[in-house]
Amino acid sequence: MTAIGIALALAAALLAQTAIVRMVASEGPPTDLVLIVVIFAALSRGRLAGLWTGTAGGLLQDMLSGGIIGISGLAKCITGVLVGMAGSRFIIETIWQHMVVIVLASTFHTVSMLGVYALVGAAPAATATFVLSRAAAEGVLGISALTLARGVPVAVQRARQRLSWRRAGRRPWAASHHG
Amino acid sequence: MEYRQRNGYLVSAVIVGHFILISAQAGGGHHGGVLDDVAFRAFAQMQRLLTSARGAVAHTWSHYVELRDVHDRNDALTLTVADLQLLLQEQRALAQQARGLQELLGLRQAVDLRTMGARVIATAATPYVRTLTVDRGAEDGVHADDAVIAPEGIVGRIVGAPGPRASRVQLLIDHLAAAGARVERTRASGIVTGGDDGTELRMEYVSNHEQVKVGDRVVTSGTDGIYPPGFVIGTVASVAPGPELDLAIRIVPAVRFSRLEDVLVIVSDDEPLPPLSVASE
Repeated sequence: MTAIGIALALAAALLAQTAIVRMVASEGPPTDLVLIVVIFAALSRGRLAGLWTGTAGGLLQDMLSGGIIGISGLAKCITGVLVGMAGSRFIIETIWQHMVVIVLASTFHTVSMLGVYALVGAAPAATATFVLSRAAAEGVLGISALTLARGVPVAVQRARQRLSWRRAGRRPWAASHHG
Repeated sequence: MEYRQRNGYLVSAVIVGHFILISAQAGGGHHGGVLDDVAFRAFAQMQRLLTSARGAVAHTWSHYVELRDVHDRNDALTLTVADLQLLLQEQRALAQQARGLQELLGLRQAVDLRTMGARVIATAATPYVRTLTVDRGAEDGVHADDAVIAPEGIVGRIVGAPGPRASRVQLLIDHLAAAGARVERTRASGIVTGGDDGTELRMEYVSNHEQVKVGDRVVTSGTDGIYPPGFVIGTVASVAPGPELDLAIRIVPAVRFSRLEDVLVIVSDDEPLPPLSVASE
């Protein structure tokens, strides 16, 4: 993930979260698309990328939501740094390893958000079910994004290969037909 | 080692910076200032474009590909029903005003509301804050604290300074939102606030002595100076004795916030209201 890629992913996540996904009072647990981008940025580029992606994404979220500016920024930058540190110390390759990281990061992020809200005296009451259901939903979302991100280039490469084989196989046939 | 130490300082500095930023606003100061306004305006434009594009695709599909005539008729009927529901709410509010002795004695209550249609173009960027962005702003005459309603009932209020062509609406289900309310049947007053899970509401400060039942309709009381009285908030889902001398009441909101597409902003008039005489009531 390059720096431009991270910036584009952040912008896309923010736009999708606000303009496409209607999660104001959805029937399922609300998910945070920006957090998913922060986690993948931290895993691929390290803790400093996690710090800056978390700070930028969180601050933009706060500005666009009308809440207290800095709460999402703080929670996301700490989460980004911790995920980056975990990524540099452990091998995180498989889908299930990613799932564990996303669920843990999401839980930490939610708890730290609630903690900061409590510090400023505006904590929304939240149950353990709320925290865990969010973590599970974000885990599933993150894994889906990862599968898609890994699968699309492979599919494109296979399609190109098939096309080139078809072209290569067609020429001799065409030559003999016309010859 | 030096590199790692420098990174540690950087992380600490960023975290401390966040704490300073939060502390500056925690005392009720202005949220974000210029940065907030610039980001809100810039994203509002993009969100408006995205919503228009999404709306155009959905419109083309539903009106020209699939059941064109049926959808047209359905749209017209939906608008008529919405108008009638609003009219019904206004009539109910008017009836309540007529019933109340205080209102008869000269308390100013305006029922003839000046409203403006607005389209929802975005929701909050974080799941912890329940806000919407609508495509009407200061250039359309929207002010901070203007009430926002839907045909089914109260939606919320405008928060922060509106942008030129977009405004942010704090929904009633936000955990920091509140509205003066009363139970329509018994006229027991209290305050409705956002619930814990962001889908329900709570009614507080209703005495244990009040007879509130499941299914009772809760309406605005008008005491907060933001929402006009008599508009539907929701229905009582459960009543239980609270930890102190008040009832713990859960309310299911009348408005389905996850499906809001169009709302009405009640535009506050800058001009003072004309004197209200009891005789004319």
